[in-house]
Amino acid sequence: MIQLSYLDYLAIEGKSFLHRLSPRFKILGMVFVLLGVVLLRDLRGLLLLYGILVLLFIFIRLPLRIFSLTFYPLIFALLFISVSGFQTHFILIIFLKVLSGSTGIVLLLASTPYPSIFSTLGRFLPSLLVTLLFLTYRSIFILLKVLEETQHALYLRGGFQWRHPWRSLVNISNAFGHLIIAGIDASERMYESMVLRGFKNKIHYRGE
Amino acid sequence: MSHIHLPDGVLPVWLWVSGFILAILVGGILLKLTKREELTRRLPLLGMMSAAMVLGASIEIVPIAYHINLTIISGILLGPTLIFLATFVVNMILALFGHGGVTVIGLNTLTLSLEGVLGYSIFHLLWKMLKRLTLATFSASFIALLFSTLAMIGVVSLGTSHYKELIHQEEGKGIFEFKLLKEKGEHLEGTGEKEEVNLKRFIAIVLPLGFIGWVLEGVITSLMLRYIYRLRPDLLRL
Repeated sequence: MIQLSYLDYLAIEGKSFLHRLSPRFKILGMVFVLLGVVLLRDLRGLLLLYGILVLLFIFIRLPLRIFSLTFYPLIFALLFISVSGFQTHFILIIFLKVLSGSTGIVLLLASTPYPSIFSTLGRFLPSLLVTLLFLTYRSIFILLKVLEETQHALYLRGGFQWRHPWRSLVNISNAFGHLIIAGIDASERMYESMVLRGFKNKIHYRGE
Repeated sequence: MSHIHLPDGVLPVWLWVSGFILAILVGGILLKLTKREELTRRLPLLGMMSAAMVLGASIEIVPIAYHINLTIISGILLGPTLIFLATFVVNMILALFGHGGVTVIGLNTLTLSLEGVLGYSIFHLLWKMLKRLTLATFSASFIALLFSTLAMIGVVSLGTSHYKELIHQEEGKGIFEFKLLKEKGEHLEGTGEKEEVNLKRFIAIVLPLGFIGWVLEGVITSLMLRYIYRLRPDLLRL
């Protein structure tokens, strides 16, 4: 999650052709990737799709550290492959589907700022849902800041100690409790300021 | 753990499409039943709780592939109607991080909101009966997580014939699959081929790992709620 701000930075600062492409086309491209992932059932086809996405990743010069994000969903796929009795063909198909989907998503996120994605989705989804997506996205950054501060305070005061697992667990839980209280307080302040700025069920984007 | 972390293209189309349809229906009905002003007033809180759930889901306990959901505590704080919206948004954002496929958003929303609604209901029931916060929270978390994990296993088991086809695809012909019907796997069962989909193995791995997670999340949720009760009891509306 810490990578979120870095992804956002890449999406805003990037200058490649993919960054300059309209978010509408990129979302459409992602739909095609998803269609490929859903419909392709052959190793060659999936390899080709994954190869194209990796080439695109290299071509637009995204940092390698971002590429590691595409492997994250493999952790859960490991659980699922037990269904097949660990057959190589099934494992390869599942892994390629996972990697193609996650590489497509990372390409989209690293080349398109979130507000642009939400505003494009706003053409198809109810405005309430899009507003909620935007508020959640904004809240993630607010909570990340609180979490970072709380984490530092806990470390500095010896809140995490492997020798005292129960005490550490209590401290971690209290930190999450604090996160929620701070989040609720921030949400009340956010609502007040939104109303002051004339909020009525919908967030308007620049250019609307 | 209790929601489906499957990538796109693994579950049969009829299953995830049904998940979307059901989720949209339930969401639509709940939105109709909620007052517009109330919803608008609570939007920032909804966003904040959804963000907390997203953050919770991003902290992975790697050896057991478990992460806390914070769905039960969100259910208790938001109530059964709003938790549905929150889980929908959480699943959308998580899917954007590759945490579960985009196509399984509908099914995941149903599974996670079941967890939130059950957690809320059991917590309030036990609180009324016992008046013991820690016990009520732990029991509510444990039972809700158990049921949502069972729901997840149920959903995964519905796709059995599809997994068989994926396994047998090696001997198969085409590159694409356009059939949408459930019956497509039946010819395999009729040919007497060796049974290769072993759900029991999957369940045998998921349930023990899940058990560790349910206990851990139950303890964390209880401690968190105790902290919130000490500082801001008004938030719990008990």
